[in-house]
Amino acid sequence: MTPRALIAEDEPILAATLARTLAQCWPELQIVASVPNGLAAVEQALALRPDILFLDIRMPGQTGLEAAEELAERWEGPEPFPHVVFVTAFDDYAVQAFEQAAADYVLKPVSAARLGKTVERLRGLVTGRAEQGAGLGQLLGQLQALLPQAPASQERLSTIRAAVGNVVRMIPVEEVVFFQALDKYVNVVTADGEALIRVPLKELLAQLDARRFQQISRGVVVNLDCVQSAARDDLGKVMLALRGRPEKPRVSPVYAHHFRQM
Amino acid sequence: MDLFRIVLLGTMDHIVVTFAKRVCMPTAASSTTIITPPRSGLRRALAELPLTVVVSTLLAALITLVIGKPEVFLENLLFSVMIGAVAFVLLNGARLLFWDLPVWSWRQWVPFLALAVVVAPIAHFTGTSVAGLLLDIRTPTLSEYPSRASASMILFTLGGTSIMTVLLRHRERLRRSEAEHAAARLRAEVQERQALQAQLRLMQAQIEPHMLFNTLANLQGLIAIDPERAGEMLDQLIQYLRATLSVSRAEQTTLEEEFNAMRAYLGLMGVRMGERLAYRLELPPALRSARLPTMLLQPLVENAIVHGLEPKVDGGEVAIAARVDDGRLRITVCDTGLGLDQPHSRRGSGVGVATTRERLDGLYGPRAALDITPAQPHGTLVRLTLPLETA
Repeated sequence: MTPRALIAEDEPILAATLARTLAQCWPELQIVASVPNGLAAVEQALALRPDILFLDIRMPGQTGLEAAEELAERWEGPEPFPHVVFVTAFDDYAVQAFEQAAADYVLKPVSAARLGKTVERLRGLVTGRAEQGAGLGQLLGQLQALLPQAPASQERLSTIRAAVGNVVRMIPVEEVVFFQALDKYVNVVTADGEALIRVPLKELLAQLDARRFQQISRGVVVNLDCVQSAARDDLGKVMLALRGRPEKPRVSPVYAHHFRQM
Repeated sequence: MDLFRIVLLGTMDHIVVTFAKRVCMPTAASSTTIITPPRSGLRRALAELPLTVVVSTLLAALITLVIGKPEVFLENLLFSVMIGAVAFVLLNGARLLFWDLPVWSWRQWVPFLALAVVVAPIAHFTGTSVAGLLLDIRTPTLSEYPSRASASMILFTLGGTSIMTVLLRHRERLRRSEAEHAAARLRAEVQERQALQAQLRLMQAQIEPHMLFNTLANLQGLIAIDPERAGEMLDQLIQYLRATLSVSRAEQTTLEEEFNAMRAYLGLMGVRMGERLAYRLELPPALRSARLPTMLLQPLVENAIVHGLEPKVDGGEVAIAARVDDGRLRITVCDTGLGLDQPHSRRGSGVGVATTRERLDGLYGPRAALDITPAQPHGTLVRLTLPLETA
């Protein structure tokens, strides 16, 4: 079976160079697609089901880390999760983080020798990888270490001020069941209603009490006091049942460990 | 005689001050004055003792010259020094105790001179008595003291102490102004350091490692794929680095040079971003030699790319234009990128703008302006207004 790879890189010359260098180090590897942004990376990976994914970190649309996170949330079916190799330009912090997370990464400018080592590891992984979910489990561990944690803000938010028509509603945070990111807005959901605020979810998260509010996917933060139960379906996906709301938000595999039994 | 005395006093002042400066004030003291704690009273009082000896010596020489007997110079010298020493201890002690102020007005001068008048006979009498004892010469006792001869000598002593006082005040002023100079020098040094740090910040903000390494990665790729284009790209990188790094040397540049640097930068970004980036530069020939501070445009253009176009999936266009409006130079940087309030735009956009504002404010004050508004239908419009300066 020919190993298949997808390259996600926004700079065309760098994408071509990576493909060229890979062709030298690993002639039998087939590059199934080369995409220029993080959104296309997820769509193409879902459609083409490659064995290996080269993800640039800084890409338009969404970063390589965000793309990996979204892919982990949306990946379904019998094919094993692709092995992810992050591609990054010089950036001290990121490189250290990759080392700590034991993630595979290559540095730009790509050196053939360094890429050769990665390829050697990848060959072993691709041929020996039989059991499903190993790649995903590994990636989830890496993402937990790599995804930027919102720095805890000194200012703890106690009341959400949300405009509803001409009225500004004052919502005590403890009444919020969950926050949901909607494009430029965040939907604040309480037992008796919803309101939109214009604050990015990440910024909001930094101002919330981390013991009470837990992020469960890229776009949703729930109030743990309002979580009634977490149920695993046939595909292994975790869903939450909430007090006072009919919605059953899905927990991303990245955050599923927060809802395991003790 | 009066004229002679004035000339003599003037010369003496000069000699004494020069001498005193050399002997009593090591040069290092001037630069450390503001750092070392104030000198103790005793040390300050004694610091002026050599000056007294010098003045006394000169007065003894004067007397010797006036009476025309060179053989009694040494005797005169001892008398003079003794009188001077007593007068010095009394007057300088009183000065440091009661009138220790940096600036003297008549409130200080009048009582001090009154004291000098009182001190003169005391110093003269005590000084002559001590010197007489030492030299075994009979001097007038207290009952014999009030006489015509004593009166003239008291007047002479008063003259001497007055000279001393003037010299002391003069030296103190000198010392103080030197301390002030040293403080000013220190302030200037601190300011210079701060300016250098600001410049360094500016440079660090410009040559972002991420940008440099990505450009090198592209260059490495092009060398294998298209060597000719790699050569062009290398030229542009050199031009960009030269413009960016020379900021520490030159403070001003011309619009033509600045536009060339921007063209090089956009050329580099054009290779990197491919079809996602389009750019336009419009510089009327008449404005080519207009002068402006170095690196003023660069942070603004880089913001348009890094925060506006690079993170946008479809990319877009950046247009840079210069024109004269109402006698002032107006430069616009307009991009069709993500725009100002985008949660997806990358962090740190404030640094370049804040640094540019700081620089403009420091250089031109209210004569320059930088305003940033949303562009229509999307993107960001930056308008820079400067006084028009042509070489």
